[in-house]
Amino acid sequence: MKLFASLFCILLVNLYAVSQDVLIEAESFDDPGGWVVDPQFVDQMGSPYLMAHGMGEIVRNARTKVEFHKKGKYNIWIRTMNWAPGSWEAPGRFKLKIDDSVLEKTLGTRPDWGWEYAGKTKIKKNKKVEIELIDLTGFNGRCDAIYFTTSNKEPPSGPNNLTSWRKSVTGEPNTPELTKTYDLVVVGGGIAGCAASIAAAEQGLKVALIHDRPVLGGNASSEIRVHTLGIYGNFERILKMLDTEHYPNGSPEAQLDQNKRDKNVKSYDNIDLYLNWKAYDAIAEDYTVKFVDARHTSTGERMRFNAPYFVDSTGDGWIGFWVGAEFSYGRESADTYGESWEEWGELWSPKKPDNVVMGSSVLWRSREMETRQEFPKVPWAMAIAKNHEAVNGEWQWEFSRNDLNQIDDAEEIRDHMLKAIYGSFYNAKKNSENENRKLEWVSYLVGKRESRRLVGDHIFTFNDVLENRKFPDAVVIEEREIDVHYQTVLQDENNPDFISEAIFYKTPQYYIPYRSLYSKNIDNLFMAGRNFSCSHVGLGGPRVMRTTGQMGAAVGLAASLCKKYDVNPREIYTSYLKDYLELIEIQKIEKTQRN
Amino acid sequence: MRITIGVITLFITTMGLAQFGTQKVVPNILGDSIFNESPEFFTMEWKKGTTLTKLETDIYIDIDSTGLQSVNMLVDEKGLPVLYNSNISAPVCADGECRLMEIRLYWNILGRYAGFDWIKGLPLTKHDHDEFLEADYLKLHQLLIDDNSILKRREIEDLVETPKDSIMADVDGISGATKEEVKESVVSGALYSCYIAWNLVHGEVKSEIMNHTLSLMSYEMVIGMLYSNNVDYQFFALNTLNEYQYEDHYIRVAEIFKTGIPLVRTFIVKSLPRSFWKSDELQKPFWECFSIIDVNSRSLMLDHLEKASESVIESISAELQIMTKNQLKKYLQDLKERGNLSAVTMINLEVFAISENATFVYLVKEFLEGKN
Repeated sequence: MKLFASLFCILLVNLYAVSQDVLIEAESFDDPGGWVVDPQFVDQMGSPYLMAHGMGEIVRNARTKVEFHKKGKYNIWIRTMNWAPGSWEAPGRFKLKIDDSVLEKTLGTRPDWGWEYAGKTKIKKNKKVEIELIDLTGFNGRCDAIYFTTSNKEPPSGPNNLTSWRKSVTGEPNTPELTKTYDLVVVGGGIAGCAASIAAAEQGLKVALIHDRPVLGGNASSEIRVHTLGIYGNFERILKMLDTEHYPNGSPEAQLDQNKRDKNVKSYDNIDLYLNWKAYDAIAEDYTVKFVDARHTSTGERMRFNAPYFVDSTGDGWIGFWVGAEFSYGRESADTYGESWEEWGELWSPKKPDNVVMGSSVLWRSREMETRQEFPKVPWAMAIAKNHEAVNGEWQWEFSRNDLNQIDDAEEIRDHMLKAIYGSFYNAKKNSENENRKLEWVSYLVGKRESRRLVGDHIFTFNDVLENRKFPDAVVIEEREIDVHYQTVLQDENNPDFISEAIFYKTPQYYIPYRSLYSKNIDNLFMAGRNFSCSHVGLGGPRVMRTTGQMGAAVGLAASLCKKYDVNPREIYTSYLKDYLELIEIQKIEKTQRN
Repeated sequence: MRITIGVITLFITTMGLAQFGTQKVVPNILGDSIFNESPEFFTMEWKKGTTLTKLETDIYIDIDSTGLQSVNMLVDEKGLPVLYNSNISAPVCADGECRLMEIRLYWNILGRYAGFDWIKGLPLTKHDHDEFLEADYLKLHQLLIDDNSILKRREIEDLVETPKDSIMADVDGISGATKEEVKESVVSGALYSCYIAWNLVHGEVKSEIMNHTLSLMSYEMVIGMLYSNNVDYQFFALNTLNEYQYEDHYIRVAEIFKTGIPLVRTFIVKSLPRSFWKSDELQKPFWECFSIIDVNSRSLMLDHLEKASESVIESISAELQIMTKNQLKKYLQDLKERGNLSAVTMINLEVFAISENATFVYLVKEFLEGKN
């Protein structure tokens, strides 16, 4: 990392000798200290960034060294955002230290992402400078990049201008330097993506699994900590390598299952695991995905992944979105697929379609300490938390609002939940019985329930459950009830807007057909996970992670037959269904030797 | 039409307790045929002087041990249905000893829980035979109001701890202590009574009542529901009115919009016929609520900005501080597309841009500076 940062800057200085500009991406710091790399919102704000997620306690400084080849008086700009603007001090304040000198300007105070002027500094020729980010609050200060320039011009802030400016400053070519070719490229290492990778690898495919976090499991990971629900269906052996115990959501026990999952996936020689790699683009020609481009979330290194088949298990349907796959978002009208439930009316399925979806959760917990614990005032959180008091947050801590898109506005959704958590905990701390309580863990990752749903040859709906349709290509089996969530504030404005309720529909065993697991209009694209082909209500049941894991495993096996017969996913249904169903039976017993 | 309370059958069979007999209509022990007082626990408004007359229906609740319990319709002086009720006798058993729970349940005409009476001289009791106190009845009422209660979808066995780790406390019908998460919702020591009552109220009888009402439905009834204070009735009426009826009653629809819950409001915005968005007069009362309605309804209203009059745009310009980021962006985008802004709008934007307490001041500043 250190080497990279230095080389990066040399490159910049060499390429742009006249302007004497140096751009330092914060996520590439040599030592992030107590700051975390947050790559969740790259598609919206442009880059991974460093965040001081200290839950109210100041985090250790992030540090890096940068070599300047030209002497000069440099203006310093910091790309940052005040995530809770208002008539209070910004919660995420920080300072910049250059060598031994702390710049006077307090940073993290400008609303929305953009450049904040930090001040000027003199730098000597060929000088190696140490830069530090000093957190002042412990409340999620964020720094995307630091830009040293001898010009007096502010760098561009608008998303389009910023992207092209970044490319020009870094001299980054359009195409990644390195290309790798696989039999199957799986994007998204949640339970579905892991299961797809294992199932395909066991059948001999060379698989790339690209995942934007350091650990596998997505919502089930130790970073988000939602337990897996649902049954194993046809894939008990594979899913037992990946799932979790039924501990309370948010429990640190998630770590044990994390270790199990990571170890199991890594045990397959023919899975190349790209952890901390985030896919950022995909290209299709003639309705066929040609490649996916990905970038390392810290180093910025890029790679192109070629394959005849791709699995979109990103949760947000990104691969499908980039290549023009049909998709849906929001709630269909009750009449679209006949999914009404009289008793629950609009809360279940609306008379007219809308862009409402189930919300995202941010889980958290606190613990009792032996001594009194202080928690600072959080005035910027109180408009959200109001009088709500809590010391833990389970699945009901969920946020959705009809002006917020779960993809485009994910950062605002996450930040809303952080305010809800910090504010509710502050309220609870005023109660003497909680004086020894301390925040133990607050996830900074958004646990999404619903976003884009890619459209397949079959759209799975509530009626498939009600009518107990036994599809010839039924590959996923489930019996857990369908539950659709709604925000309780819809029924009573006095309720907090970050708490949800679930409407349960008890079902008999039901089935999901293979035809819901590949794209209708992109010939070589599979999908597994919450972005599979379904309606809003159809997603209510199978969004849980053993079920999405079944989808993944089913897709991995289908991919192996696609390779064997050199056909596209649809032809597995039209011409090789018997082989496919036989393979599903055969795989129940493992034959592969793993390391 | 007969509705069987299966869970009760299951329970009695499971416990191996004596049957009280089946398939026999239970005589109405109260014998009331005229109702001129509100039920003791009631979710609705009871207007003074109301007199309701009981009419029999073909709806029954079949309780295996005590027989068919008739469900009656209570009508007003015009013969229009106002409530349904049923006098229930249901067995509650514990430790091999059974007693009857006597309760009169009420539903509104859409089959939603409306209230209950306990029968004087036959109070509800707990496991230890203690009579319900006033607070217990209130708690039962709150439980019955909750149509998504924790008791839903659960068998009685799922609501108690397994016998191996239970202490025989806080139960009234089955061996095992009430689970912690259930305790908050039910009357202490009366889990089984609560469970039976909840399942009676929220069982199949709801849809039978609804269907019965629908078979009698008239325009007069729909309009009566539109003008009632009951949210379920308002919702039903709003869902039933056609485009022209919306126009005829737009003042009432706007009143509901102003005072309703967010769910009803969002439904109204989505349901307003196109004609509303072409008429300043029809839109006006809805825009006038802009500053007091909930955030979701406000977003839906902003979807119609394009068709709003200049005076609406001006009035919204004075409410910038209540908008979310995306709402404000949408509003500013609309202003940009409109081009020339009125003096009132400009002044309001400029005042907002220098205010200190608003969150998204920067968006308006950038707009005024031509950055957006």
